[in-house]
Amino acid sequence: MVGILVCQIVLSIILAAIFLVRPSLTTGTAWKIVAFIGLCVLPALCIVGGMNTHMQRSEQTKFCTSCHAMENYGKSLYLNDPKFIPAQHFQNHRVPPDMACYSCHTDYTIYGPLKDKLKGMTRIYMQYVSTPPNPITIPGGFQNAQCLHCHAGARGFEENPVHSAMMSTLTSNQLSCISSGCHDSVHAASQVDHLKMWSPGQ
Amino acid sequence: MKLSQIGIERLFRIASLLIILGLGLEIISLLWFHPLSFVLFAFVAASLIGLGILVYLASLVFAVSALGQNRG
Repeated sequence: MVGILVCQIVLSIILAAIFLVRPSLTTGTAWKIVAFIGLCVLPALCIVGGMNTHMQRSEQTKFCTSCHAMENYGKSLYLNDPKFIPAQHFQNHRVPPDMACYSCHTDYTIYGPLKDKLKGMTRIYMQYVSTPPNPITIPGGFQNAQCLHCHAGARGFEENPVHSAMMSTLTSNQLSCISSGCHDSVHAASQVDHLKMWSPGQ
Repeated sequence: MKLSQIGIERLFRIASLLIILGLGLEIISLLWFHPLSFVLFAFVAASLIGLGILVYLASLVFAVSALGQNRG
C-alpha cells in the first residue's frame, strides 16, 4: 500500500518537474490533460493516500510509544502480573499486540471523530510547546464502551454474576470497569520501573 | 495574449514548485516514524500540495478568461 503511494508521489513529482521546467508544453491538448493529471488529480490522490497511511500508522503500538510521555505506558504492557489489565490483554494477545493501544482507546485523541482529533492536537501542543500533564488522564474518563466492544455478549463475561447484576450501570457508564475494587490495576505508569517485567520468549 | 501566456506559465511554475515541495515533505513524513511526522504531513505537506492544486486551478481560470478577452 505504501509502495503504491510512493510510486504515485514519484510520478507526481516527475510530472510536476516537467511543468516546472517547461510550462509552455501545456499549449498542446494532450499536455493539457497530462498537466491536469500531474498537477491536480495525482497530488490530490497523494493527499488522500498520505492521510490514510498516516492514520493507519498511528494505530500501531510503536507509534504511540515513540512519544516520550508514552514510554512508561508502553513498558506497562510488559508487567509480569496478570492483575494489570493492559498487560494481561497485550501478553495473551487478547488485543492485537501491534495495535494494543488503539484496541482499547479507539475514542482517544486522533483515533476518534473530529472532536477527538482536535483534542489530539492539543496533546501535541502540550508535548512540544507547553508541558504534558502528569499523570496523563483521559478527558471525560475511560469509557466502558471500550471494554464492552469485545466483552459484551461474551459468555464468560455475561455469565459472571457480578457483571450480570450491574450490567445496566456498566452499559450506561455510571460505574467504570476500572473503578476501585473492580479492574482497577491498569497501566501503573509511574511504578513500572519498580515492578517485575515480563520478557517475551523467556 | 503573449503577456497572459507568460502569467499562466508563471502560475504553472509556482503550482509545480509547491506540489514538488509538498510531495517531497510527504515522502519525508512517510519515512520518519514519529508523532510529529503526522503534523508535518497534515499541516505542511498537505497544505503545500493543496495550495499548488489551487494555484494550478487558478491558472486554468486565468487562461479561460484571457482567451475570452482575446475573442471579445
